[in-house]
Amino acid sequence: MTIEEQLIEYAKQGKLLTHKCTKCGYIHLSTAYYCLKCGSKGFEDLVLDGVGSIATYTIITVAPAGFEKFTPYAFVVLQLDNTHLRISGFMAGIATPEDLPVGTRAKIAGFEDGCGIIIKKQ
Amino acid sequence: MTFVEKVCVLGAGSTKYGKLSESIADITTQASVLAIENAGIDPKEIKASYISNVFGVADKQVHLGPVLMSRLGIPDKPSLTIESACGSGSVSFREAYANVAAGFYDCLVVTGVEKVTHTGTEWTTTYFAYCSDFFYEGQAGASFPGLFASMARAYLTEFGATEEDFARVAVKNHDNGFLNPKAHMQKKITIDDVLKSPVVASPLKLYDCCPFSDGASSVILCSEKFAKAHGGDYIEVIGSGRGGSPAALQGREHMTTIPSTKIAAADAYKMAGVTPKDIDFAEVHDCFTIAEIVDTEDLGFFEKGKGVQAVREGRTSLNSDISINPSGGLKSKGHPIGATGVGQVVEVFDQLTGKAGARTVKDAKIGLTHNFGATGASCAVHIFQSV
Repeated sequence: MTIEEQLIEYAKQGKLLTHKCTKCGYIHLSTAYYCLKCGSKGFEDLVLDGVGSIATYTIITVAPAGFEKFTPYAFVVLQLDNTHLRISGFMAGIATPEDLPVGTRAKIAGFEDGCGIIIKKQ
Repeated sequence: MTFVEKVCVLGAGSTKYGKLSESIADITTQASVLAIENAGIDPKEIKASYISNVFGVADKQVHLGPVLMSRLGIPDKPSLTIESACGSGSVSFREAYANVAAGFYDCLVVTGVEKVTHTGTEWTTTYFAYCSDFFYEGQAGASFPGLFASMARAYLTEFGATEEDFARVAVKNHDNGFLNPKAHMQKKITIDDVLKSPVVASPLKLYDCCPFSDGASSVILCSEKFAKAHGGDYIEVIGSGRGGSPAALQGREHMTTIPSTKIAAADAYKMAGVTPKDIDFAEVHDCFTIAEIVDTEDLGFFEKGKGVQAVREGRTSLNSDISINPSGGLKSKGHPIGATGVGQVVEVFDQLTGKAGARTVKDAKIGLTHNFGATGASCAVHIFQSV
């Protein structure tokens, strides 16, 4: 499995695969190859719950190819609980800002070809 | 750092920005010829070309350098084509600058170009999203307006700004662009026009967004010795800085700050020996209204969170405290993405050599350009001084 496929497999279980630096302990998304803080290449896998709150988002009405059928939909940045890490994703069925105030509780809810990491309200 | 040569801009020119019918090869050449004629040099004095372009494939022409050089009658001269998304022009300019400063070449043509309007909105929306960190962003349905809208949502939440504040940036830049005969959208608009335009990616509406444009811009970059020997108007490059940011928004500490801008600006200010207060005017990367507000804060013109207040008070309008985007910016002048960073230098050259007509920034001596790729994942800042 490629590094991206591994991340996708965990996303399908509602989890986030991360890389924890074995030297300094800093946590990265699992696509990192070197530590942002200390430059070390040694990582151990750490699986986090994909639960958190919406850091920011947008509701897209003019969509890239393949996404027209979903409009309006949200592209969201999810701040995960108990870590500095955030993860971006696709959220269906959001039409107005009232549907998704910043801070709304949400979680990783899968991965689909054609819309990437799926995030749903909790 | 030790430089062998001081670097100057000796000539500059742009095609009109907008929907152009000529081929990408032709507009690349047209802009270059304008710069060559403006500089008053013979093409055979050019030692190499730096070309910036992102989507040449859309007009069936990549590897633009040799095509340009062939059309200029100097096919034996080397060329390089550079892609750094919407920041390609300034990155290419920087590489050209470094080569002149190091003494490798005494005279270069630096040309940026884009030709995409014939492809339509869906093509451009789709392919521009490839400039994001695609695995995390584009793949999840993010468009470029969507990524900047995410920054805008964070800004609204954090600083209590309003959508009307964003609209003021658009109105101001259209006021400036109205005075620029080469602008893509040479028309004035009102706050109401912006607020009532269709939503593209909430909270950004159509008139919060720059247009997709065709166009080419070119400058002749040379050593001070070359410029002095030639005579004619020239300006000096006194600062050059580059920086980077995490490619995806999710990796940034703050959603309302672009780290690469701060890094590039700090380098450029240091090299130039100036502070933000010394800058008379700036061409900044206003691909969306929110971007200009964030830029003016990250460049140090205003405190974080105070950029909207500055716009409200008219402090960034033409001939106010600091004229931001006297050309009309990406918003009104247009955004041919490979050309934009070079086009900003064209504006600074025109301003500092008395060729900016009705949009002249009075008594300007020092101008700054700020141009980035994607959501600011890569950035270059340059500072220029009149001679």
